[in-house]
Amino acid sequence: MIVETNQLTKTYGPLAALRDCSLAVNKGEVFGLLGPNGAGKTTLIRILLGYLKPSSGWAKVDGLDCERKSVAVRRVVAYLPAEASMFPQMNGRDALKFFAEIRPGSDLLRSLKLAQRLELDLSRRIGLMSTGMKQKLALAATLAAQTPIYILDEPTSNLDPTVRQAVLALVNEARAAGKTVLFSSHVLSEVEEVCDRVVILRAGRLVHTQIMRELRTQHRIAAQLSAPLPPIPQSLRQQLVIASHAPGEVTFETPGELAPLLGWLATLPLADVRIEPVGLRAIYDRYHSEQPLASGQRELADGVTPHKQAALSGG
Amino acid sequence: MNVALLKKSLLEVRLLFAACLVLVFAFCFVRVFIVASLELSDFAAIVERLWDKWGKFSAVPLSQLLSYPGRIALAFDEPIVVFTISIFAISRGSDVVSGELNRGTLELLLAQPVSRLQVLASQALVTIGCLALLSAATWCGTWVGIQVATVKESVPPPKLKVPFLPAVPLPVRSDEKIEIPMREKVDPAVFWPGAVNLFCLGCAVAGVSSLVSACDRYRWRTIGIVAAFYVLSMICKILGLAFERFAWLKDLSLFTAYEPQKFIAIATRTPEDTWSFVRQVEGLPELGPLGYNAILLGIAAIGYLAAAIVFHKRDLPAPL
Repeated sequence: MIVETNQLTKTYGPLAALRDCSLAVNKGEVFGLLGPNGAGKTTLIRILLGYLKPSSGWAKVDGLDCERKSVAVRRVVAYLPAEASMFPQMNGRDALKFFAEIRPGSDLLRSLKLAQRLELDLSRRIGLMSTGMKQKLALAATLAAQTPIYILDEPTSNLDPTVRQAVLALVNEARAAGKTVLFSSHVLSEVEEVCDRVVILRAGRLVHTQIMRELRTQHRIAAQLSAPLPPIPQSLRQQLVIASHAPGEVTFETPGELAPLLGWLATLPLADVRIEPVGLRAIYDRYHSEQPLASGQRELADGVTPHKQAALSGG
Repeated sequence: MNVALLKKSLLEVRLLFAACLVLVFAFCFVRVFIVASLELSDFAAIVERLWDKWGKFSAVPLSQLLSYPGRIALAFDEPIVVFTISIFAISRGSDVVSGELNRGTLELLLAQPVSRLQVLASQALVTIGCLALLSAATWCGTWVGIQVATVKESVPPPKLKVPFLPAVPLPVRSDEKIEIPMREKVDPAVFWPGAVNLFCLGCAVAGVSSLVSACDRYRWRTIGIVAAFYVLSMICKILGLAFERFAWLKDLSLFTAYEPQKFIAIATRTPEDTWSFVRQVEGLPELGPLGYNAILLGIAAIGYLAAAIVFHKRDLPAPL
């Protein structure tokens, strides 16, 4: 495990920004952190970097205690903060030179190439740069660092679609080079595109872990019902979940392969059938939809609780 | 010490430093010309009238104030000089932590493999170095002024020379004026204690500002707190000097240890005490110039040390 936390908690008086968070990130993995504002993503990252001291629990990066060895931790981690602010007196080139000088083993040439790839004008003073330009500059400085771990907190915010794609490509290149990436974002499609594993945080708690490879095998089947829905055969109950069931319509979700279900589905009185991958949105909405489904609304074929169902879907 | 951090601090400070440097140099240079242009007798006429009420606020006796070194030494108590050094110190000290936090730049800075202590030390080193240069600039401005200014003085009365007897000045007043170079009247070296005292004041203000900055996250609030402390400190000294029953307030003031005129007077009158920690005055021990400077440097050291401890231990809030 290159990043590991155990029962990590950060409280501010009665407010818990992070509660009992235990996770482990494998070497070479792109690991996503998902959750709305205030869920605890940034708190978790800031504890990893030694900016915050945990109230209880511990965190380790590359075997180094994040609280006691924070400088050594930052030697192996390159961090891009959300909405990175740079030094306004410098121009883009000076800033990249500064970051190359301050981190032993950094490569100015690599950061200049990255800046070029991100279509950045380095001659401009940072004080006169737009938010997006500053973000590109911070990205070039961060991704140029030759560290085994990158922590990217909302790396694509303020970027145009072309540059967003370039950033995602850079993350994929980092993975191909054997680097580990912690990728925090609100943009589900991006997380879905680059991450190997995702954790969802809610109100400071880690509520779900999703292996993306497993998610890609899951499907949602929505259809109109022309007759009452017959009971699900006993043999299929572990493989099919009724996500919603209203008069005249039904939505199933498959935690695993779709093929074994097709025979039974074909016997149902269904019309206007739509089959689509479940996607991260559905998983995310289980924990963060504005009007979360009450447990009674969610008919589970085998009677499992939402928590167990979440576990079934890969956690 | 991290060279990249030092370079960054120098880059940030260069404009403010250049402006302050030009200001204090030019002011001290011009101040010598103002002294030279106002005849001693005219100045004495003004001061002697006010001395009964103003005297208690003066750190030096009237005789010192009516000498050329005493009049030039007033420059070190001029608001332009004191405030320029103080503003520079507050500006740099407040930037150490709360300034970087306020701008959001500390986030990316501390993402690099540097310790918080290194960040603080690089800022402190540049601030103290610049304060030393600014204080030296006040002396340089004074030195250049002394080298080029001339004073007008009445021609001394003719003397009657009688063989085998000392020369006797004749009681004849002459209206004739002659120009004498200021350098013949004043030794520039006597102003070093004033410049050093100014440097120590700057360090103390920078240390206090750094401590407040290390505790805070908003630079404007840091500046407000330090400015309030600074003004209160001035008020304490003024009240302590003005009213006997409030004399104890002087002990609470930072400015009680800032007495450049007094130290210049010591350098002029008792050169052997110029760099003394303790000196004898009428048989009693009294803090010497270095003693006062040690108090200011002690405040600076405590300020920076406490700032380092607070900064090392505190949680860093997310950028605003």
